[in-house]
Amino acid sequence: MTITTPAARVRRGLLYATLIALVVVFIAPLVWAISGSFKGRGDIFETPPRLIPDPITGQNYANLLGTQPFFAWFGMSVGTALIATVVSVFVCALAGYGFAKFRFRGRRVLFTIMFSSLSIPFAVILVPLFILVVKSGLSTPWFSLIVPWVAPAFGIFMMQQFIVQSIPDDIIEAARIDGTTEFGTFWRIVLPLLRPSLGALAVWSFLQTYNSFLWPLVLISDQNQYTLPLGLNILFASENRSYDLVLAGAVLASIPTILVFILLRKQLLEGLIAGAVKG
Amino acid sequence: MMSTHTELTVLPKNLRRRHGGRNLRGGAAPYLFIAPFYLLYALFMIVPVFAAIVLSTTEWVGIGAPTFIGFDNYLDLARDTSFGGALVNSGIYTLIAVIIVVPVSLLVAQGLNAQGLKFRDAFRVAYFVPMVISPIVIALIFSLILDRDYGLLNASLHALFGLPNVDWLGDPTIAKFAIGFVLLWRTVGYLTIFFLAALQNVPKELYEAAALDGAGRWRTFTTVTLPSIRPVAAFVVVTSFISAAQLFDEPYLLTKGGPGESTLSVAMFIFRAAFERQQFGYAAAAGVVLFAVVFIVSQALNRILGIGRDQ
Repeated sequence: MTITTPAARVRRGLLYATLIALVVVFIAPLVWAISGSFKGRGDIFETPPRLIPDPITGQNYANLLGTQPFFAWFGMSVGTALIATVVSVFVCALAGYGFAKFRFRGRRVLFTIMFSSLSIPFAVILVPLFILVVKSGLSTPWFSLIVPWVAPAFGIFMMQQFIVQSIPDDIIEAARIDGTTEFGTFWRIVLPLLRPSLGALAVWSFLQTYNSFLWPLVLISDQNQYTLPLGLNILFASENRSYDLVLAGAVLASIPTILVFILLRKQLLEGLIAGAVKG
Repeated sequence: MMSTHTELTVLPKNLRRRHGGRNLRGGAAPYLFIAPFYLLYALFMIVPVFAAIVLSTTEWVGIGAPTFIGFDNYLDLARDTSFGGALVNSGIYTLIAVIIVVPVSLLVAQGLNAQGLKFRDAFRVAYFVPMVISPIVIALIFSLILDRDYGLLNASLHALFGLPNVDWLGDPTIAKFAIGFVLLWRTVGYLTIFFLAALQNVPKELYEAAALDGAGRWRTFTTVTLPSIRPVAAFVVVTSFISAAQLFDEPYLLTKGGPGESTLSVAMFIFRAAFERQQFGYAAAAGVVLFAVVFIVSQALNRILGIGRDQ
């Protein structure tokens, strides 16, 4: 359909104007934060805000890195998020494959149990999970921080969907006839075919863990073991509201997730949609 | 970020079907494939859920042995105005999510679905960006923008319209909606991608038939679009409801639950009971109540929106 009438052209113009205005709404606060992170403490709240700071200063970043264990926080956030991602993607791919390509006793029941727990708010298990982790004596943050994210029901569901859609039974049958072990089939044939979907689940898992706040908040009290959200929170809550450092930290903390998103946005968006829409 | 916005509520078709096409079997193999997941899952999900129920019948300060007190925690919760207020506030957040955020997302998706739209993908990606940023970072930025004295918003309103400063985060009523707005800002782009995908799946013939019948825009929307996207709409509604019901980051960072307790959410109530007052049993009971409410409402939403009914 081509746009012909003047009325339709006006409507189209209004549509573009609205969509662009929305881009501004979603991006402007971020631009303001990035720009502010390069301003002197006194200029952050200048009105109207200058897009390009004058003068541009890296002082906030220098102060942040100089006075706070920022790299420790960064390492803790990225490290735990990576571990949680690897573990969850692996167990979800395994289990998704089990559900997608095998029929076995208890299959429906097991799937339904996992499935129905999708509606359990995290706050419900917060207290018992905290007690479990603390009492288990495994209080190293490298273990305790990842606990809520290693077996996401959503991940198994996503994997199951992908495998049903993209791995034909014939390939698996053929591998079996060749005498490949069940795990060998999974590892050498199924996993490589799943690569794009694994990427989607990996991004999703990483974002989950990296951005989590409530769980690390109750768990970690040693400042050197903070994750980025905890560190930013404490800077913000501090007596003199160090918003200059907070803005610099917010920008640095967002770089990994923005990068991951830019690199893998296609897989992530398609993956999320495949899980929900085509189900 | 998405600890919760991705819950699904429909069993996949291939599991609903009794006689699936698969005839692959492998003895113990399937159990070994699903074992690692279920081991972690049982330990970190199923055990805690049951432990919450048991714990909710006890009084426990975190050390020593818990004392069994039956349903006392629940009776106390029923009388606790602070918990009642938190339930109301979380109710308001879920209403904002379902009644405002979801329709706005659908509207944005409709806009993006316009025929021959240029830069569709760029728009979609731009709107999604807030979703990959930590809710804490977002809350920090907005707490600076919404600041009564220095914030960008008041400064702009003052400069453009000469409006007096509004206490966005300090007024009991406005603060609830400020939190609702940040929730909207953070999730609209995410929900939009689901609606857009659903809209793109609506068969073109249906629209052509409606046009032949002389149906206007609104009629086409209610008779063609809405029924076609119902499963996805139901997913989005229930998902938004569940994540708003456990909202924590925004009220914790933007308002500390205040002023007073006027923005306190249930998740914040649980956090405070357990980790500021060491009332672990009481906090667990509040969690069980939250669970019950979320479960019942999401089941009801599923019924109303017709999930599981095959068209």
